[in-house]
Amino acid sequence: MVTAGAFDGQRPLHPAGEQVLLAAFERGWADPNGLGASSAQSRHLLNAAREEIAGHLGVSASEIEFWGEPALVSPIALQGASNFRSGKFIVGQTERQEILALAQDAPTTVQIAVDHLGILDRDQLIEEIESNSTIAIQAANGETGVRQPISDFSSIVGRMGAHLHLDFTASGPLIPLPTYWSTADFPARSWSGPSGIGIMLLNKNQRWAYPFSHATNRRSPESYSLPLVLAAAAALTGWLKDAHQESDRIRNLISMIRQVISRTIPEVDIAGSGSKEESLPHILSISALNISGERLVNALAKEGFAVASGSACVASAIEPSHVLHAMGILTHGNLRISLMHGVLESDVKRFLALLPGIITQLRSEDGA
Amino acid sequence: MSNGIEREVLDCIGALCPTPIIQLSKAVKTLESGKKLILKADDPATKSDLLAWSRLTGNQVSVIDETTFEIVKA
Repeated sequence: MVTAGAFDGQRPLHPAGEQVLLAAFERGWADPNGLGASSAQSRHLLNAAREEIAGHLGVSASEIEFWGEPALVSPIALQGASNFRSGKFIVGQTERQEILALAQDAPTTVQIAVDHLGILDRDQLIEEIESNSTIAIQAANGETGVRQPISDFSSIVGRMGAHLHLDFTASGPLIPLPTYWSTADFPARSWSGPSGIGIMLLNKNQRWAYPFSHATNRRSPESYSLPLVLAAAAALTGWLKDAHQESDRIRNLISMIRQVISRTIPEVDIAGSGSKEESLPHILSISALNISGERLVNALAKEGFAVASGSACVASAIEPSHVLHAMGILTHGNLRISLMHGVLESDVKRFLALLPGIITQLRSEDGA
Repeated sequence: MSNGIEREVLDCIGALCPTPIIQLSKAVKTLESGKKLILKADDPATKSDLLAWSRLTGNQVSVIDETTFEIVKA
């Protein structure tokens, strides 16, 4: 189901996941680690879901851990890296705030700069990396849609044998795992799966240990909801059926938005190059000079469009977006346009017909 | 007056983003080319946004200190 005007990245559960969810609550309620027939059934369902997801992500089932708190997957994956508390922690300037905040737990932290297009400085990465480093890289940025050359970075890190954590939160499986990786983060939301399920990949050839004390020899607390895991597996299978075709169509719509805004709205910063190699197909970040992001978002909401903003005045933050700041682009008047699968071209065209007039009107009201 | 060049001061201390930039854009409209203006602003976004403002509008910005900026109209 597609909601008209929903350009804010919120996605309903994929119908394939929805279909499985209710049945899963009926059949998968027992603890998969328990004894008895119900637990055996749960165990069977869990293993099947694990195999299904592993097959789609290109890993073995034993490399998957499910988590009930997706936001913690990357921080815990990094803290469990064998040298996190003894070696250098290397992180991109445009990483998520919760990843940047891990600097307080690492003995030394280096932030890798990004250029105006949001791409990490390859030379600085080569210069800083050591064999006992822990490196955190987003496959793509959720705020701007800028995609990193992770195959190249993977080769660089692999040559040193350092720990490479990759965050696929924004891209999901649209970007494949590179040859060398240590841990990875795939929230089920990234493929229109249910909220509340995170997937941590742990490379079987790499050392990793659960960073908190625990009483068992398990690699995670296993506090996830089994029905949500089953729905996540079904949603992934359903989502992948047309993911690449849909992505091509959505990329064309994002290109159209980029072109029309460049042509019709003066004094606007558009993040990233927009090329296929350097951007996600469905995210576009623009910043319009002399406009409050909050007023822009509210004006669009009145026309039926839900659009997110990274402007400090909208995000209830005092500091401006560290991502936009690192790229040297405007941090106010920001719109983060995120198109979901099934989005209607007519909806995008209506948005484009309205946006230039709204921006002109708001600028004029402020006398700018 | 400073060095014989007239410079206006736009005081936006305490104003939150994007008010300092909007006020600056309005003030610069009334300046002649080559004229200078001092902007005082302490919102954390202002310094970052001024550099982007300069790139988008062609006006020059020099950072005097963390809250004081010199603007030269293009």
